[in-house]
Amino acid sequence: MKVSLFATCLTNAFYPEVDLTMAKILKHLGHTIDVPEGQVCCGQIAFNSGYVDDAREVARTLINSFERSEVVVGPSGSCIAMIHHYYPTLFENEPVYLKKAEDLINKSYEFTQFIVDVLKKPDLGAHYSAKATYHPSCHATRLLGIGEAPLKLLQNVKGLELVPLPEAQLCCGFGGTFSVKMPKISEAMVAEKAEHVLESGADILLGLDMGCLMNISGYLEKINKPVKTMHIIQLLGEGMKS
Amino acid sequence: MTMYNLTTDQRVDEALANNFLRQATRRATDRLRNNKYKASEELGNWEQWRSAGESIRKHVISNLDFYLNQLIEQMEQRGVHVHLAKTPADAVGIVRNIVREHDAKNVLKSKSMISEEIHLNHALEEDGVAVVETDLGEYIIQIAGEPPSHIIVPAMHKTRQQVADLFEPIAGYALSSDTPTLTRFVRIQMREQFLRGDIGITGCNFAVADTGSIVMVTNEGNGRMVSTLPRVQITLMGMERIVPSFRELDVMLNLLARSATGQRLSSYTTILTPPKKTADSDGPEEYHLVILDHNRSEILGDKLFRTALNCIRCGACFNVCPVYRQLGGHAYGSVYSGPIGSVITPLLEKDWKKWGHLPYFSSLCGACSEACPVRIPLHDLLVKLRMRKTQSGHTPQVEQQIFKAYRYFFTREKTLRRALRLGAHLQWPFVRNHRISGGPPPLSNWTKSRTLPMVAPKPFMQVWADLNNKR
Amino acid sequence: MSNTNDFISHLASKLGRSTPAQTPPPVDISVPQYRLSNSEERVSIFLQNWQALGGKGAIVRSSDETLQCLKAWFGDLPLNWLKDNHQALVAWDMLPTVAESAFSTLNWPLTRYTQSTLDPRDRYSIAAHAELGITGSDLGIALSGTIVMNSDPLRGRAVSLLPPRHLAFIETTKIRNNLFEVLEEVSVLGTPPAAIEMISGPSRTSDIEMDLSIGVHGPIEVYVVVIDN
Repeated sequence: MKVSLFATCLTNAFYPEVDLTMAKILKHLGHTIDVPEGQVCCGQIAFNSGYVDDAREVARTLINSFERSEVVVGPSGSCIAMIHHYYPTLFENEPVYLKKAEDLINKSYEFTQFIVDVLKKPDLGAHYSAKATYHPSCHATRLLGIGEAPLKLLQNVKGLELVPLPEAQLCCGFGGTFSVKMPKISEAMVAEKAEHVLESGADILLGLDMGCLMNISGYLEKINKPVKTMHIIQLLGEGMKS
Repeated sequence: MTMYNLTTDQRVDEALANNFLRQATRRATDRLRNNKYKASEELGNWEQWRSAGESIRKHVISNLDFYLNQLIEQMEQRGVHVHLAKTPADAVGIVRNIVREHDAKNVLKSKSMISEEIHLNHALEEDGVAVVETDLGEYIIQIAGEPPSHIIVPAMHKTRQQVADLFEPIAGYALSSDTPTLTRFVRIQMREQFLRGDIGITGCNFAVADTGSIVMVTNEGNGRMVSTLPRVQITLMGMERIVPSFRELDVMLNLLARSATGQRLSSYTTILTPPKKTADSDGPEEYHLVILDHNRSEILGDKLFRTALNCIRCGACFNVCPVYRQLGGHAYGSVYSGPIGSVITPLLEKDWKKWGHLPYFSSLCGACSEACPVRIPLHDLLVKLRMRKTQSGHTPQVEQQIFKAYRYFFTREKTLRRALRLGAHLQWPFVRNHRISGGPPPLSNWTKSRTLPMVAPKPFMQVWADLNNKR
Repeated sequence: MSNTNDFISHLASKLGRSTPAQTPPPVDISVPQYRLSNSEERVSIFLQNWQALGGKGAIVRSSDETLQCLKAWFGDLPLNWLKDNHQALVAWDMLPTVAESAFSTLNWPLTRYTQSTLDPRDRYSIAAHAELGITGSDLGIALSGTIVMNSDPLRGRAVSLLPPRHLAFIETTKIRNNLFEVLEEVSVLGTPPAAIEMISGPSRTSDIEMDLSIGVHGPIEVYVVVIDN
């Protein structure tokens, strides 16, 4: 099918290689990729800070950019969760855009969700020898209901030993603007998350939300305990290189 | 009461620097959370029970006028004195009058969050009335002069030794700091008080509308003492704490006990239908019910926030909140802390200057909504509060400008692309070892404790455009 | 009270409609309730749960077995208590027959709480100085190990509250599966008694460093004798 990529703003600016890898994987699976221009951001950063009008305009731009897409896939649980969970609220007083938002909701997926639940391909034939642990991002897990998909993908990576992350359910402290607005509380939270990452004994920390990974890896760097941090897409990309 | 005079930042700093507090908070919340998990798994079909709880609470709140009226009628028919308090000051006034009328010198109190909300003890003490907190945790914080740090275990922030030190002046000798000794001391100490009490003030977990009953869920026995021994009893109740009948009470009690402490039922679950029957030997002869509004009616009328009234005060949200976990309750500065406290305090108190920080004591992780036995969408309510605060113009100018800029750039993809490429050039002064560290505020709020990746030389949208142009 | 009318109509206006004249149709509640298949199971689970909460329990089938049980639990302690305080054992006016008979045979005289004295404060004092409070029960709950007692002129709430030990008698036929069944039976009564006490074990707290402490203000030791007639 024709898959439209939603780059997501953080990945677009800081980790373009993740978006590229996502494109490569989907191409490898036989799909054609397009990246509609005009797309920027789901708007959650403004919405979660209470700036609804600003969020709405940014969301409108996003909806417009994917209007002609069949299917939209993004490398971020929180961005897709924003669309699914809050776009109806954003456009509740605009029937035209409410319909467009619902259309986008019905055709948009987080990457692991898309691969496992839609394409039904939990095994991508990847090899990667390492001990890794997985951080289940809050919005992906609680708002979008992503549970098994990323784990299924990881369990099928040959050579990958998945070890449990203690207190995995704890938020890493990113929360978008929370990390900047309440920096000390955020730091305390990421410090505990880092503690648990180190406790797990893993060499690699995996996740499906760049915001969380940026937060945790940024802290680990600062305290000189640089556990390698990868988005699941990056691991799969590396693992599929043969 | 130094707690009340600190700023939010000071309270947060103090909490984060207090290692015992952080360990104690972890221990208390881990224990209670695990207990709830075991109890809910044992009950089985937890989602069905939550659904039932949610339906019941929604039904009651959307018919609150009917059920409150029914409750009042039932109670007044049997001779209970029902008092309606619009504001905390009204409620305090009502209690003070009753105490004065009876010339009461010894007032016993069992656990009541409403009494904290209206700052009752302080007012009674001003009248020269000795108020005895009989709940162990509340007794400890009363002596210490501090607010509760958790809704179920209010003194969890105190060490054994601190408790022993607090008891020493009362005992007149040094107590060894082991739990059995401290508990035995309080038992003997309180026993004297129980037998001398003129008036007993209790809280109310649920009021049953069709029978005019009050339900108290306790474990220590002090609730029973305070509702049995004194001649006069006053029950303080938030007006939303109602169930239609015993049928719904079953669901609520199952949810409350398991969610709060992981018990199937608390040691003492007491259903009072006051006043005592004439021939009963025990029980208060005179019974007062004080029903408090304190802007709950405003919340009722506010469709966006009405679900906040569904709360059954179980504390489950506290025990999963990653922010509460790091801070404990005092840092919030409010009577009700944790996720529910962050939601209802701005709504009850209506003061953005004083309580505007609370909706931001959250990373919006959603764990609270997941844990709530009656499915209150707490994290959604927190976002809505932030919306309210922004719309009321109470957010900092700088923040408003930043989001205007955000809106500008993030609705113009090509413009943003250029800005990012510019940023990629301008970031070098802040780069060390291929990471951004340092920089001016608000960037420094991040970089003080974390590094950032570098802005990519080309954003993905440009990379993709270039790739496709080459084809 | 016109105050009430104002208060209620204020709420009605906040809800955007006038107060319903009739009781609103109740919410549909369908939750799977805990049920055991027979009385033996109920009794067994009831005792198991009571004991897990820290209480002592036993099943008896006769006055003689009751006597043996009481001797096993208390030995000669009651005689010592009674030496210092002839009102050391306070009880409801009426206990199940096997209980009355056992106490009589043991020669452990019971002070009937409601008849002990006229002044309530003095009565409380008697209960507070007693060593053991003895009651019957109206109902029991297997799932939570709970005994349920209604207030009544011939009883006294203080009996199960003030003494450091509480001994309750309950017939097997009174033990229900779950709370729902108990509350259903209470509803049928019409106007409930002034107090229904549902007791599940001894008094407890974890207020100090989350360290569990048994026996705070209420009874420290609790005993239940299940009577199988």
